[in-house]
Amino acid sequence: MYRLGIDLGSSYTKGVLVDENNRMAAFHCVKTGYNFNKAAEKIISHFAESYEIVYPAYTCGYGREEIKVPFVSNSELIALAKAVYEIYQTSCSIIDIGGQDTKFIQVNALGQVDKFKMNRKCAAGTGSFLEEIAFRLDVTPEEFTEFAKEATQEVKINSYCTVFAISEIIGMIKTGATLANIIIGIYNSIILRSVELSLVEDHLVITGGLPAMHPTIVGLFKERYPDSDSPEHAQFLAAYGCVLLNNHNYQQGGVNESS
Amino acid sequence: MSEKGTQDKTELVRLKSTGELRITMDAYFTRLKKAAETRNRKIAWCTSVGPAELLYSMGFEVYFPENHGAMLGAGKNADKYIPTAVAHGYSPDICSYLTSDIGAFLQNETPLQKSGFSSVPRPDILVYNTNQCREVEDWFNFYARHFNVPVVGIHTPLNIKDLNPEIIKSVEDQYHRIIPELEKVAEHKFDMDRFRETVGLSHDGCVLWKQVLQKAKHIPSPINFFDSAIHMGPIVVMRGTQHAVDYYKILLAELEERIKNNISAVPAERFRIYWEGMPLWYKLSSMAKLFAKLDTCIVASTYCNSWVFDDLDSANPFESSALAYSKLFIVRSDTVKEKVLEQLLHEFSVQGIIYHDSKTCARNSNNRFGLQNRLFKQTGIPYLEINGDLNDPRCYSEEQSIIAIETFIEQLEAKM
Repeated sequence: MYRLGIDLGSSYTKGVLVDENNRMAAFHCVKTGYNFNKAAEKIISHFAESYEIVYPAYTCGYGREEIKVPFVSNSELIALAKAVYEIYQTSCSIIDIGGQDTKFIQVNALGQVDKFKMNRKCAAGTGSFLEEIAFRLDVTPEEFTEFAKEATQEVKINSYCTVFAISEIIGMIKTGATLANIIIGIYNSIILRSVELSLVEDHLVITGGLPAMHPTIVGLFKERYPDSDSPEHAQFLAAYGCVLLNNHNYQQGGVNESS
Repeated sequence: MSEKGTQDKTELVRLKSTGELRITMDAYFTRLKKAAETRNRKIAWCTSVGPAELLYSMGFEVYFPENHGAMLGAGKNADKYIPTAVAHGYSPDICSYLTSDIGAFLQNETPLQKSGFSSVPRPDILVYNTNQCREVEDWFNFYARHFNVPVVGIHTPLNIKDLNPEIIKSVEDQYHRIIPELEKVAEHKFDMDRFRETVGLSHDGCVLWKQVLQKAKHIPSPINFFDSAIHMGPIVVMRGTQHAVDYYKILLAELEERIKNNISAVPAERFRIYWEGMPLWYKLSSMAKLFAKLDTCIVASTYCNSWVFDDLDSANPFESSALAYSKLFIVRSDTVKEKVLEQLLHEFSVQGIIYHDSKTCARNSNNRFGLQNRLFKQTGIPYLEINGDLNDPRCYSEEQSIIAIETFIEQLEAKM
């Protein structure tokens, strides 16, 4: 019997199965598309082939209340903080870079959220910023990582706005900047937008879809914040946290009926 | 956390006085309409924290474009009008009251048409006070040029830390200086006794409004920010008249009755929040429901407290007007604002603060110079910043803000 956590994000829907010892046992990620429930169904049918799932599902993200199976919804920020604390067992600062949101969360030594902040209504600093630029440059995320290895120096991207950033990049290409150096500039631009959310006070944990798909950015964070890392399955931690937050509803063998 | 099928908590408890509020506001607009149609009385346009008492005392009907701006926002029509003003050279980054109001005017539309007005009431004179922002001067100048009528103003220093006698004297002198122009338009002389009487009524209305707001100190609170943002209408547009005084006596009595009968604005109040910044007029109702669902009452706000001019004194009408209108929150330095906020947080037993960073209203967005961090250090009261705008819904991401607000309440809950 496995409990299911689903993070229905703006770009991707992430599902995780959690075993009776509160460990992540299986992972699956699909593009969210236009229908949250359909995305969740894909996750569920994928897991159902090999695992027995106990309901309700535990959800978070923009589509957290848009699924048709029984569910308990949660704040993705509280869920993420819970999962990170479960792993690190200490106070920490979290930067989560997702498709549409970048979040800063400060978790205290008791595992509670002391403060949090989300990006302004703007794509800069989020996965969408990078996706749009990748689309315009006709480069895949995997190629981004490969190209980045060849970078010799950083090119500075100044524009806040995605459209202006693309114009700026085209100008750089015209003046001879290499794609590898530009990619490092794009990554650093995202880092700068995320670290301005708040002061990093503790060990920095980098999570979300973007660092999972672009591991180079984790290294660039480390250059600025030596005391930082990105845990395994960084993209699935909010979904995992949803399950952990609801441990009180669960006893071994099923849902606690009295809760 | 929410479970599917959770009991609907969004059924809001409506204040009975709302019916009387409607009658009071309708009567105000009827007087304005009559003046606009018959020209039986002169019409002055005034800024919301401008010298309304002086204008009422001189027999003007007084119209407030900011009130009209809020109506456009609450009617969810601002984004229909803003692009027209932008096309006429007004930036989308300046006050969206201004851009929606001017845009609507250029499109010859107003919500007042539903009440039988053909247009906004034509002004005979426009009178502003820059105590809140510089935009009001440019806003009024647009209409002064259009209607070819005089515009006069009081220029109050900004970011006042020490409200010294020189500042008050300067503002008082400017009050005196605009009187000859007002007399010319009104076609009669200024009457000191009438002014004293109007200032006295304004004082009484403000004191009653303050008492209304202070009822929210009670736990649970009988009134929340979303009620106050609607019921503040009379203190904004009828300050200095008996109408406002009469209305707030009724509202105050209802709140006292609610406290006696243990009726709260949010049925299951568990969290008490302070709202810093402008309302999001186009989301007033959905936000009220969201907070009710979260068992959260917004018990106090800078915005609603901004119409408490209890320093007004009929014995000393000019000097006390200068004092009252230069003492208000928006025109003060952050040092003063921090002290005011700290006091209010304490008085209203507040557990958290929400700062609304309003894209087009810099002066009502008090989280831009580090105040939020300093206040957190002083009080330990957690805060949340949300990005939006008073009128322009294009500056607001509802989904993101709902997640942030729900998370904030869960953050508070975890520490209870």
